[in-house]
Amino acid sequence: MPIRNCLITLGLLGLLPLALAAQTPVRIELSSATLSAAVGDRVQLTAQVFDADGNQLDVTVRFYSSARRDFPISRDGVLQPARGGEFVAFVRVNTARNVRDSLVFNIDFPPVREVSMAPTGERFFVGATVRHQSTVIDASGAVRNDVPVTWSTSDPGVASVDRFGRLTAHREGMVTLSARAEDVSASHRYRVVANPIATLSLTMGQDSARTGDVLHATAVALDARGQRVEDAPITYTLVSNAADSVVGQYPPAEVDQQGLFVAQNAGEYTIMAITPGHVAQQTVLITNRFVTQEVQFIGHAAVRDVKTSDLWIWEGIDGRDYAVTGTHGANGTAYFWDVTDPSNPEMIDSIVVDARTVNDVKVSEDGRVAVISREGASNRRNGLLVLDVTNPRDVKIHAEFDDGLTGGVHNVFIYDDHIYAINNGRRFDVINIEDPKNPHRVGRFELDTPGHGIHDVWVVDGIAYTSNWADGVVLVDVGNGIKGGSPSNPVEIARYSDFDGATHAAFPYKSPTGRFYIIMGDERGGARFDGLQSGTPGLMAGYMHFVDFTDPLHPVEVARYEVPEAGSHNMWIEDDKLYAAFYQGGLRVVDISGELKGNLYLQGREIARYMAYDPEGFVPNSPMTWGPQPYKGNLFFAEFYSGLWAVKLQPRVKLTQ
Amino acid sequence: MMRIMAIAALLFGGAGAGAGAGAGAPPAPQGEPEAYLFYVASESEDEVTLLRFTVGEGLTIEKVIPVGVLPAEIEGPHGVYVDPDGLHWYLTLGHGFPFGSLWKYETGSDTAVGRIELGLFPSTVSVPPVGGLAFAVNSNFYGDPEPSTISIIDLASMIEIERTETCTMPHGSRFSPDGLRHYSTCMLDDMLVELDVATLDVARRLDLSPPSGSGAGAVCSPTWAMPASSGEYVYVACNKSHELLEVRVEDWVITWRIPAPTAPYNIALTPDDEKIVVTQKGSAEVSVWRRSTGERIALIPSARKVTHGVVVSPDGRYAFVTVEGIGGERGAVDVIDLLDLRRVATIDVGKQAGGIAFWKVVS
Repeated sequence: MPIRNCLITLGLLGLLPLALAAQTPVRIELSSATLSAAVGDRVQLTAQVFDADGNQLDVTVRFYSSARRDFPISRDGVLQPARGGEFVAFVRVNTARNVRDSLVFNIDFPPVREVSMAPTGERFFVGATVRHQSTVIDASGAVRNDVPVTWSTSDPGVASVDRFGRLTAHREGMVTLSARAEDVSASHRYRVVANPIATLSLTMGQDSARTGDVLHATAVALDARGQRVEDAPITYTLVSNAADSVVGQYPPAEVDQQGLFVAQNAGEYTIMAITPGHVAQQTVLITNRFVTQEVQFIGHAAVRDVKTSDLWIWEGIDGRDYAVTGTHGANGTAYFWDVTDPSNPEMIDSIVVDARTVNDVKVSEDGRVAVISREGASNRRNGLLVLDVTNPRDVKIHAEFDDGLTGGVHNVFIYDDHIYAINNGRRFDVINIEDPKNPHRVGRFELDTPGHGIHDVWVVDGIAYTSNWADGVVLVDVGNGIKGGSPSNPVEIARYSDFDGATHAAFPYKSPTGRFYIIMGDERGGARFDGLQSGTPGLMAGYMHFVDFTDPLHPVEVARYEVPEAGSHNMWIEDDKLYAAFYQGGLRVVDISGELKGNLYLQGREIARYMAYDPEGFVPNSPMTWGPQPYKGNLFFAEFYSGLWAVKLQPRVKLTQ
Repeated sequence: MMRIMAIAALLFGGAGAGAGAGAGAPPAPQGEPEAYLFYVASESEDEVTLLRFTVGEGLTIEKVIPVGVLPAEIEGPHGVYVDPDGLHWYLTLGHGFPFGSLWKYETGSDTAVGRIELGLFPSTVSVPPVGGLAFAVNSNFYGDPEPSTISIIDLASMIEIERTETCTMPHGSRFSPDGLRHYSTCMLDDMLVELDVATLDVARRLDLSPPSGSGAGAVCSPTWAMPASSGEYVYVACNKSHELLEVRVEDWVITWRIPAPTAPYNIALTPDDEKIVVTQKGSAEVSVWRRSTGERIALIPSARKVTHGVVVSPDGRYAFVTVEGIGGERGAVDVIDLLDLRRVATIDVGKQAGGIAFWKVVS
C-alpha cells in the first residue's frame, strides 16, 4: 500500500513532549500531501502548532476522525480509510483553548468486485418484458447502490434492455443480457423462444369481499395443447374505482407480484394479470368492513397524583377478581384493587418500595404470587419484589431479589414458577420461584450483537418472545422443547428485526387461518414543541408491525397498524382482536381476523377506540394509554395520567332503516 | 484545501464556571454579587432546573427544562456541567438502548444543539478550563462488574475522540486547575486514576484502600475526586469506609485520611482551598472541613435524605447542594452560607436531584 505522505514535522508519534511549556499554543495547522485517497492507502497527516508570535511549538497533538470505523486515524496521524466517501480528519491540542484544525478528505470507493442480477431463467418469451435487478459489491464487501449500472444485450434485435434492466424480447434467438458496473459485469444468456402461451386465465377465489380481506389472484397460462406454462412471466396490476374518489387519498388498494390483493377503500377493483400477448382480468366488489362496535364505560379506579404504569388482572384464590397497577416516575407504589364489580373498583391495598418506578407487575397463573419491578431505588439496588397475593387485601412481601439485578428491572413475566426479568436493559434473567421466599437465578439469556439492548419479555407455551429494540423480536425456547431449551438453558429459536429497529413489545398470535404472526410494537419519542413543560401530555410515535412467522426461519413482515400522530405501546390479542394501547392515541381494538396484509388502520379494521379523558387526571383530559388486558368480557387498561379503567365492547347493532 | 474552523470560544467575562467549582473556576465578576445561577439535573424526573439564588431573597426556579426523547421512559439525567466559556452546558443521560448519551445545550435558550451516544450509564461529566473537550465517565452502575471507560468528546464536533479504559465503575471526575490532568475514582476498584489530558492515556493509578482493608470487594468505594485550586492535592470521598482522603499530586501519596460522617459522596472546595465541602449521602448532611488542619468545622443537615451533589460559588461564599430524596419525595436544593456555616435556603426540584453545575454570578 502506498504511503502518500511521509512528511512529519512534529515527530513520528503525535505524542510529543511538552518542550515549550512557557509558550502558549494558539493555532494549529493540519496538513496532508493529499486530500484524496483510496481504501487501504496509508496517508500521513502532519500538524504544526504555533504560539501568538508565530513560533512553532513542540507540543503533543491529537489526531482523530469523524468516523472512527470507516476512516480510522492513528494517534500518530496515519490515516487508513476503510470505506469510500467524504470524511473529516481533525487535530487538536487538548491542553490549549480552541487550538484545533480539520481537513475534509474524499476517499475513493473501492473498485467493484462483483455484479449479479436477478431473476434469471433459461428461456424468455417473445413479447415478454421482465425487470432485472442488479446487485453491486465492491472490494471491501460493501453493497453499492451509488455505482451506475449499464445494461446491454448482445443482440438488440433479439432482445433489448432499458436503463432500468427491463428486458424485452423481440424475436427468437439467443441473447446475452449484461449488467456492467465499472469494469465488472454480469451476464446471463437467454434463449428467446416464441411465446407458447395460448390462453391466460385469472381467478380470484371470490368476486366480493370486504376492505382488509386478502384475495389471492391466480393467473394460469396454458399453451396450445392446454399444458400449463410454468415459467410464463406474469405481472399483476389493478384498476381502481373506489367509492370514495376524493383526491389525495392513499392508494385505495394494492396487489403484489405474488397476486395478493387487498383493498382499504370500498369500490370496484379490476385485477389484471398480464403476460405477453394476453391480459386476463377479474373485477371484484369490495364493501366496507363494518366492524365498529360501541364501547361502554364501566369503571375507573382513579390514580391522579402520580403516573400509572402497567396492570395485571387476575382471579384470586377466593374467586374474586383483582387488579394490580404500578406507578411511574413516582413513589414506588403498587396498588391492588378488587375489580369483581368493575363498575366500582375498590382499592384494597398498596405496597410502597424504595423506588421511583414500579414499571411492571405480573401475577402467577395460580393467582398466588406477584412480582413487581423496581427502578430508581435510592441506594441504586433495584431488582424486583416477589409478593404473596393469596390475600390481595393484605399483600405481603415474600422476598426482595436484587442479586445481579441492581440495574433497573424494567419488565417481568411469570411463567411456570419462574420469573423472567429484564436486567439492566441488556439481557433477561430467569429466577426460580418454586419457593417464592427463596428466589434464585437459574438462567439468563443475552444477545451477542454489538450494542444490543432488550426491553420486554413475554412467555407463551415455553417460548419467550423478547423485544430487543434494533435487534427486533427474538424467540427463545425456555421450555417449549423445540430447541431443547429450558429455564436454565434458554436457546434461541428465531429472530426478526424490522426496518425501524425500535421493538419495544411483542405478542404472538396463532390465527385461525393457520398462519402464525408476531406483532412487534415500536416505541419512539414523538414530536417535541417549544414550550412543552411539565403538566402537558407527552407525545409518542411508532406503530405495530405484523410479521408472518409461519416459517420461523423465514419471517416476512406483511402488515402494519399505525395510528397517525400517536405511538404504540403495549398490546394483547384475544379472539382475533388486537387490543392496542397507543399512548396519546388512546385504546384501539382492531379486527385482525383472516389473512393480514397492508395497512390495517386504513382498511377499516378498527373496531373501537376509547379516549380516557379525566378532567382531574395527573395531566387533565389527556389520554395516554399504557396497556390493555381483556378479562371476563371486560376490557381493562392502564392510563398513564389517570389510573385503571374498565370498558366493555357492546354487541354490534345493525340499525334498522 | 478546505478547512473546518473550530468554533471560537468566548471567555465569558467574569461569568461561567464549571460544575463542581473549585478547580478552574473563573474569577467572580466585579461588584457585589446579587445572584447566582446554576443548573440541577433530576435523574428520576427527566428534567433539568435552572435556579437563581438571590442574596437576601432566596432560591427561585428560573426554568424547568424537560430532557430526553421518550416522555414515557425515564432516561436519567445525571451529570451536568457548564462550559467554562458559559455558552453551553452538557448533560449525561444514563439510560438508552442500552447506551447513555451526552447532550449539548445552549445556555440562555437551553436548546439542545448536539448529542452523542456514549457507553453504559455515563454519569459525571466535566470540561477542562480551556474548554473544547468533555470527559464523561461511563459508570455502568448496573452492569456486570467489569472494566469501563471514560469517553472523551470533542465538543465543537460532538465526536468521541477516545474511550480510555480506567477501571470498574468510574465516577466522580474533575480536572486539575491547569487542565493537564483529569482525576476520576473507581467505585468498585478502590482507585484514583489520573489521565494525561494531552495524550488521553492513564498516567497514574493510586490504591485508595484503607491499610486494614482487604478481602473481596471495594472497601473505600471512592465516589468523587476533587482537585484543589492549587493543583497540589486531590480530595477523595470514600463512600463505603466513610473517609475523606487527601492525595498529594506530586508524589502521588495519601497524605491524610480522616473519618467522615456516613457515606461521603461529592466534594467541592472554596477557590482559596481553605474549605472543603462534602455531601454526606448516608447521613443526609453536608460536612465542611478546614483544609489546612483537616478539622471539621460544620455538619449541616440537608433538607431531606440522600444528599448528593455540591458546587461552590466562584466567590467561595455559598455552597449549592442537591438532595435526592427517596421514592416519591421531591428533590431539593440547599444553599449553605460558607461564612455562617448554615443552610440559608431550600427549594424543591424534580425527584432525585443529583448533578449540579454553576453557571454565573449576576452583579
